[in-house]
Amino acid sequence: MIVTANRLRSIGWVALLALCAALVMILAFRVNALRSQVHRAELRIVALKQEKMYLETEFETRANQQQLKAWNDVEFGYVAPTAGQYLENERQLAAWSKPSELDAPTPIRVASADDSVIAQAAFPAMASPISGKAVADEKPAGGPDEPAAKVLDHAAATAALGERLGTVGHVEKPKVAQKDKSGDKVADKSSAAKPAKPKEAKSTPKQAKAEKPAAAKTKSASASKPAKPAAKGTKLAANETKRKESQGK
Amino acid sequence: MNALTASAAIATGRVQLANVRQKSLVTAKIRALWVLVLFVFATLTAMVRLGQLGLFEQTPERTSMAEALLPARGEITDRNGVALARAFPSYSLWFNPKALGEGGAPLVKTPEEVAKALLSIFPDADYNDLVTRLKAGKPSYLRRRVLPEEANKVFALGEPALEFPRENQRYYPQGSLAAHVLGYVDEEGQGHVGMEQVLEKRLLDPAQRGTPIALSLDARAQGALEDELGRGMLDSNAKGAAGVILDVDSGEIIALASLPSFNPNRSDLAYNGLVFNRVSNQVYELGSVMKPITIAAAIDAGVVNDMAKRYPATPLNIGGFTIHDSHNFGGSLNVPEALIHSSNIVTAQVADKLGGPALRRTMMALGMNERPTIELPARGFPLFPRGTDKQGDWARITTMTVSYGHGMAVTPLHLAAAYAALVNGGIWRPATLYKVDPAHVPTGRRVFTASASARMRQLLRMIVVDGTGKKADASGFRVGGKTGSAEKPGSGGYRKTSLIATFAAAFPMDKPRYVVVAMLDEPQGTQATSGQRTAAWNAAPVVGRVVPRIGPMLGVVPDGSRDIDISDLSPLVGNGDGE
Repeated sequence: MIVTANRLRSIGWVALLALCAALVMILAFRVNALRSQVHRAELRIVALKQEKMYLETEFETRANQQQLKAWNDVEFGYVAPTAGQYLENERQLAAWSKPSELDAPTPIRVASADDSVIAQAAFPAMASPISGKAVADEKPAGGPDEPAAKVLDHAAATAALGERLGTVGHVEKPKVAQKDKSGDKVADKSSAAKPAKPKEAKSTPKQAKAEKPAAAKTKSASASKPAKPAAKGTKLAANETKRKESQGK
Repeated sequence: MNALTASAAIATGRVQLANVRQKSLVTAKIRALWVLVLFVFATLTAMVRLGQLGLFEQTPERTSMAEALLPARGEITDRNGVALARAFPSYSLWFNPKALGEGGAPLVKTPEEVAKALLSIFPDADYNDLVTRLKAGKPSYLRRRVLPEEANKVFALGEPALEFPRENQRYYPQGSLAAHVLGYVDEEGQGHVGMEQVLEKRLLDPAQRGTPIALSLDARAQGALEDELGRGMLDSNAKGAAGVILDVDSGEIIALASLPSFNPNRSDLAYNGLVFNRVSNQVYELGSVMKPITIAAAIDAGVVNDMAKRYPATPLNIGGFTIHDSHNFGGSLNVPEALIHSSNIVTAQVADKLGGPALRRTMMALGMNERPTIELPARGFPLFPRGTDKQGDWARITTMTVSYGHGMAVTPLHLAAAYAALVNGGIWRPATLYKVDPAHVPTGRRVFTASASARMRQLLRMIVVDGTGKKADASGFRVGGKTGSAEKPGSGGYRKTSLIATFAAAFPMDKPRYVVVAMLDEPQGTQATSGQRTAAWNAAPVVGRVVPRIGPMLGVVPDGSRDIDISDLSPLVGNGDGE
């Protein structure tokens, strides 16, 4: 009986061992099958990528600059877009809604005053298509004479924006009423929220002359709420948009 | 006895028979065993092999995917990732005379017939050359680069001796675009002339060649520049043309063109004078385009502090040498007028007051006394006046001639870098062909003060609005620039009819982003240029046409309602015609 049990046990062990070996074999076979599948897939990827490269190269060759130019000359005749085809902002769009008077001078914004501060505060900075960063950021601080990176002075920016609105209103006659009205409207709205603000906005032309101290003052006045002037700047723009929308309706 | 012997004999015979049977049985068994052993061995071998195949890696020389996709030579792209040069496995046409076995004719048809058939597939091939190659019976390339459809046609000829090995070659999808920047790769795989030569190691390094190298060029701007320069060259019947577009704030070269150009795809044809780069290698006396540099130096030195101050405009006699203007501009001119009309006389007087050392310092700060800073191997050495004394200070007349761009020869690239410094706030930066990370723009060195630079922006804009650069005034782009038409030096002094016409410009002037320099070599007066050969009529219009094409692509939007304020200077300028 004992002998039989011993033999049975050893047979059992052998069977177990054989079973394990078989399982390991199966597993190994499957792993290797999968591995060669991966390898085949890789080969296919390489082949497809190369194929893609050929096709891309062919496309680029057929659509190279000289070829495109030749086609454009013969077939399409496209020309570069002109200044009239671009609109920078809502204000330019709105300017189209009213014809200018006969003897009105063309509105030109000259670059004599540094308006980068206003541009930053009131409107999103122009992004360079190359770096994706703001254009102003691309310009590095240079040698010793170059002013250090400008600290954004929202109060001054808002003040200068008010000034610019005033200037534009003066230049283009038909827009005087419109612009002034807008100024009032903005002032009204902000006055409803904060009675101290409209004064600032109205006194901007003078402020601009003595920009620094004025800016300093506003800063100290609104020291407790540093975010406000900036918010007002955006508010101005937002109101402007709203106004235009309502006009459009 | 007989019977006994007979029976005994039979018995022995039986025994023998039994022995034979035994023996053959044993043999048969042994043979069967052998067969069994063989079968078992074969089965075992098969099993072992099966296990080996199933359990262990089956392909010893397995290359990884990354290795298979690694190009033989790194790719070069423009700043936006457009491929300018890439490794490309293409077919070539190889003549193997031994394809039909040793001895006997290598070709099925006659060499003449085959050459004729090849000529119908490749019309630009040389018939005589093909015939000699086919007759020579030596293995050789009949053609380096063959399109798949052409290969199919050759295959249809049924000549086993014409083979199409697939080889790694260098391919330039944009053709001759930016050929001088890229250079070419010869049959041995060696880069020449441009960045192919400069980046040779990097392009072949297995660790690095997988990632493409981005140059600062913009293929679209490059295409526009080459196209318009080519047109300007044809319009004015010029010998050659050169142009460069430079980012004023980073020194990146957005486009660089030297015409006539070559096709780097045909490296076999590239061994000629066309590989010569006029932008970085040829030095020219550029003439009046140098005047703004002199004026800016004078503003910085406090010599020109009153724009209304008038200088006599009558021919100036200095030590037997007379300085003339192209026209008579009246008795006197102020500085803005002098620039607008391009007066040599007034510029020379300003330079005289400024003094040689100061002007020399400025020119040296702008790198005019050394090879241009660019990665290309071909860089011309400027002809910088050596000076008379030990410090190298210039003679009075040298200072005066240099002030209006004579007596000193520099490359158009020097000029572009100097103009970038002139308008960007006064900082000179080395020009580069690598894409510059905006966060790591080189610091550069200050040459002009910011205020002088601002003043120059006004003056350059005035030249385009009121002066010789009118034809470059692309509407809405606020272009500012200066013309220069310098006579080329010949054997007996300057040649009146051989000019170098240059227009150096920047845009938009209210916030300069790019400098554009266009130069024409020996333009002629033609109907297209109204019979004129000066820069105002040939180089300025090139810039006027290039800027609207590249501006919107480079992020400069035309805007009719913006401009630089020149209201403080415009009252100072009377009306008159310039150069």
